[in-house]
Amino acid sequence: MEVNITGAQIYFEIPILGGIPITETIVNSWIVMLVIIGLCLFLTSDLKVRGVSKRQVVAEMLVTTAQNFVNTNMGEKFAHYGPFVAALFASSLLSNLLSLIGMFPPTSDLSTTLAWAVLVFVLITATKIRTSGVLGYMKGFTQPIFVLTPFNILSELATPISMAFRHFGNIVSGGVISALVYAALAALSSLVLGLLPGVLGDVLSQIPIFQVGIPAVLSVYFDLFSGFMQAFIFCMLTTLYIGNAAEE
Amino acid sequence: MEQFEPLVSIAPWEFIFTICNLLILTAAIKHFFFNRVNKVLEERRQQVETTYAEADEAKTAAVQMKQEYEAHMASAKEEAASLVKDATQRAQDRSDEILGAARAEASAMKAKAESDIEAERRRAAGELKHEISGIALTIAGKVVEKELDADTHKALIDDFIDNLGDAS
Repeated sequence: MEVNITGAQIYFEIPILGGIPITETIVNSWIVMLVIIGLCLFLTSDLKVRGVSKRQVVAEMLVTTAQNFVNTNMGEKFAHYGPFVAALFASSLLSNLLSLIGMFPPTSDLSTTLAWAVLVFVLITATKIRTSGVLGYMKGFTQPIFVLTPFNILSELATPISMAFRHFGNIVSGGVISALVYAALAALSSLVLGLLPGVLGDVLSQIPIFQVGIPAVLSVYFDLFSGFMQAFIFCMLTTLYIGNAAEE
Repeated sequence: MEQFEPLVSIAPWEFIFTICNLLILTAAIKHFFFNRVNKVLEERRQQVETTYAEADEAKTAAVQMKQEYEAHMASAKEEAASLVKDATQRAQDRSDEILGAARAEASAMKAKAESDIEAERRRAAGELKHEISGIALTIAGKVVEKELDADTHKALIDDFIDNLGDAS
């Protein structure tokens, strides 16, 4: 029994620019994007001012909730961040939930979460510079005393790294544990059913019956709860960091 | 042979794709979701505001109309009362007038009737006196069997009857 835990599968390489690998991560994130855009189009078709459909109620609720979330955490002047935070949350949540249907979640690839975190870091830095100017931003690193400058730079760089690894780690650990549990259950069911006498035991031990139902309990935590929580935490940190950046 | 990436790795192209994906998705969500829904929400907000403004206007107008109506009602009531009072007064005057005229007419008629009766009585009395004096003269002529001097005696008898009438 061998359990291989690897990253995304590489489907093929586009032979330009030194080879662009098309991986499961990229394909699945495109699927997530298409699903989100499809949902947007579906929810916003046939919008009316009066006599709204259930679909429209859901759409209005989503927009209002996202906008309230952004306005509460970042303040009214960052209201235009609503679509960005909504896109971040939707991609993160749907990517995490892909593991529910056995697909590779793009968020269990460090490249994905690090890309998001770096983009957020750029936004944080841009907001800081816009708020206090380039000199003010530089000067912020020497506060409260000059000696702390290296630590300030470290803590600044730690922000995107911790965000990326927190999200990545939670999702990938769920995947790893699920893979281990599946392998263990397969081994256990082969062991137990192999005790049955004759041909019956030989046939049944090939079927990992114990894999039915038992991993679902873990899936509720690792795929549903953790997937939702990580998406929420990532967006919460994004809004709070950018909101704080404007206050300094 | 399927190829896999290591579990913890950073693939530059994935990194770039992910950033592009997120930016594209943000634009798509903004355009296809937020803008559309916010447009409807804004339209609804404006409609609600318009409706409220119209309702307030209608309410003000209704209150004003009610006040006007009440004022009209009060003045109409007053007018009606004065009209009734005038009419009653006029009717009273008219009836008094008619009654007075009727009474005057009746008393005039009564007076005329009385004077007529008196004149008739006098005429009847004169005729009666004349006849009686004639009859008395005839009877006296018969009694004395002689021609009386009609003129002389007639004056005598008339005088007698007049005295008789006065005595009665």
